[in-house]
Amino acid sequence: MTAKTADLPGQRTFTIALAGQPNTGKSTVFNQLTGARQHVGNWPGKTVEQKSGTYNYQGTAYHVVDLPGTYSLTANSLEETISRDFIIGEQPDAVIVLVDAAQLERTMYLLAEVLPLPASVIVALNMMDVAEQEGRRIDVQALEQRIGVPVVPMVAAKKLGVPELVETIHHLVTDRRECAPRIPDVGGTEGRALEQIKALIAGQIPAAYPTDWVAIKLLEGDTAIKSLVQKGSSPETWQKLEGIIGRNGDAALAVASARYTWIQQITREVVSHSARAGGDIRRGKFDKIATHPLWGIPLAILMMLVAFGIAMIIAMPVMMLAMSGLPVLIDATRQALTGAPAWLSALLADGLLPGVGMAMAFLGFLFGMFFAIGFVEDIGYLARVAFVGDRFMSRIGLHGKSFLPMITSLGCNVAGVLGSRVVDSWQQRMMTLVMAPIVPCLAVRGVTGFYGALFFGAGAPLVTVALLLTLIVWLAFTGFLFKRLFIKEEPGGLIMELPPYHKPNWRTIFRFTWGHTQSFIVRGMTLVAGASVVIWALSYLPHGDIETSVLGVAGRAVEPLGRLLGMDWRLMVALLASMASKEAALATLGVLYGLSSGVGTSSLTGLILGAEAIEHTAIATAIQASVSPASALAFVFAAFFSVPCLGTLGAIYSETKSWKWTLGATAYYTFAALLAGFLAYRVGLLVL
Amino acid sequence: MPVLISLEEGQMAVVSGLTGGQRFVSRASAIGFTPGTPVTMMQNLGRGPVLVYLRDTQVALGRGEAAKVQVEGRGQ
Repeated sequence: MTAKTADLPGQRTFTIALAGQPNTGKSTVFNQLTGARQHVGNWPGKTVEQKSGTYNYQGTAYHVVDLPGTYSLTANSLEETISRDFIIGEQPDAVIVLVDAAQLERTMYLLAEVLPLPASVIVALNMMDVAEQEGRRIDVQALEQRIGVPVVPMVAAKKLGVPELVETIHHLVTDRRECAPRIPDVGGTEGRALEQIKALIAGQIPAAYPTDWVAIKLLEGDTAIKSLVQKGSSPETWQKLEGIIGRNGDAALAVASARYTWIQQITREVVSHSARAGGDIRRGKFDKIATHPLWGIPLAILMMLVAFGIAMIIAMPVMMLAMSGLPVLIDATRQALTGAPAWLSALLADGLLPGVGMAMAFLGFLFGMFFAIGFVEDIGYLARVAFVGDRFMSRIGLHGKSFLPMITSLGCNVAGVLGSRVVDSWQQRMMTLVMAPIVPCLAVRGVTGFYGALFFGAGAPLVTVALLLTLIVWLAFTGFLFKRLFIKEEPGGLIMELPPYHKPNWRTIFRFTWGHTQSFIVRGMTLVAGASVVIWALSYLPHGDIETSVLGVAGRAVEPLGRLLGMDWRLMVALLASMASKEAALATLGVLYGLSSGVGTSSLTGLILGAEAIEHTAIATAIQASVSPASALAFVFAAFFSVPCLGTLGAIYSETKSWKWTLGATAYYTFAALLAGFLAYRVGLLVL
Repeated sequence: MPVLISLEEGQMAVVSGLTGGQRFVSRASAIGFTPGTPVTMMQNLGRGPVLVYLRDTQVALGRGEAAKVQVEGRGQ
């Protein structure tokens, strides 16, 4: 392998797809094949992440596409559809199927689904060391003969077998060696129905689809294949087909059983067990605690707290530097630009620098959080957290795996959104991603507590209770709503593998951490920088002061809307400011209520981003005098439910790589804020 | 027909069938719940999801899902 990846003229690049069930070490193999030459994007037209990378071997360029980890290739989820559409539609030169030698029987299921597809398959038989430790010996040559495709034994975590895999791929694609896979005969039990289907669909489906495979998928009741065939065939033919499918309602189970029977016939021939073997099903003490309904939760929360602590320790030096360095840098910029136009100096010193500076300071923390999330996922603990969290998460329409991002969100919404990537189903992931920022983070709770005490004194705890109750109702409603909107299939329920614990693979964890920090730098920071400049411009243009700025004018323009919430234009502008960051909304109020020394010179962005401090108690007294209790309540509720901060929006964009989702989520939080403010105002008028 | 959810901790049985919709059958069978597969109950507390052992791995199932897995030949 050489470092050079560029295509030479006339040289073709071979495309290799990497498939495998979850927990078979797929990302480790992917990282070892491609090293640092990776690209993270989305599958065309989807918000599902696509990882691809390149490597060179003997002057030939290879493009590796990492398919989503799935258990089967039936269209139960977007991930499964993506995988098989890629294999059928893009016709990669080879498909590597990852199989876990220690769980051969179960992980060969995906192989049994891939073999009937028109593709050159290579089996990467990973975790040979674990299999050996458990007393299973696998006759690789016999396995190779039995399934008719090359098999490469590997211990990917220790880099064993990677050169052999690369060589095998090279031979397969350059020699165009005909491989003759032994396709599992899954039609045995439902043979007659299958023959009938095949006769009916012959010539009616796109040429890329093998007839036998389509027939089996129809029998399995695969929705995507059903509509494909329906489109291509006449109504009469389709009616006949539907009749056959309907009469064989149990065929899906029969087909799956036939695949497992095929697998078991093979494993019986090629695996020899030593005396120790037979699957040790005893659980360790840690696992018992981790899956305990009572102790599992505190353990998960403790783990996340530790992770938070470690992330903070990693982040501290960078944060301190940014906190102390930023004002200096801003001053220096102002100094350096004394001769330049005033707007340029204001743009840099008040708009761009504070926003980007704070986001930079934040990076260390995110790096730490990513590391922690990557770690718990890699060692296999994540599935246990999901297991104990499922009963809470299922109540708000989420999957157990959403538990980790949701509790992470209690600390920091940005980390919560970024943590949603542990949820492996696309729909559940999107739901988690949008719902995690509804959970109030440390900063929101702190600021809300401060507002409560400021406006309501001894009544503050009551306000907090009201906020929490509203929060629970809102989360449940959002879950219900999103389920209706986005989840079209019947609910899947909880079926989740709890993989065996294993030693952390630092390289994989580091790659995960770095990859996602990088994505946040590229996408998240762009958004933060852009939004900072926009907010600055709105509060500065056209005359350089906030009262007459676009923002001020807009604030007055939406006053009729504000009146519904009992909020004047100043509270509305402060609410908008709270979208950038909660901490400084109060400071903004200070400026707007004319308490700041110089409204004209001080910039809103500077305040919002916390770069300029203001005397809090003075504002408190002034605001109390001019804001009614009901309006104050409306403001507290609206601020509590509005967009948490720019960083969170950056995180949503970084994770979805989609403006549609980012703006949609922003609109949803804004709607929530206005609704909560409106209701709080009406209730406030009655009781306060 | 007894179902998986009725097994107590430590009990073993053999999967005999699946009820429920196409999606459930497809997902459950892909992860290994097919007729003839031995399964051991690891954790069943009367509420909340259960934990079973089958085909060399632990699998968590919601109570609703575990009630759709038919079993036979229950034993220790």
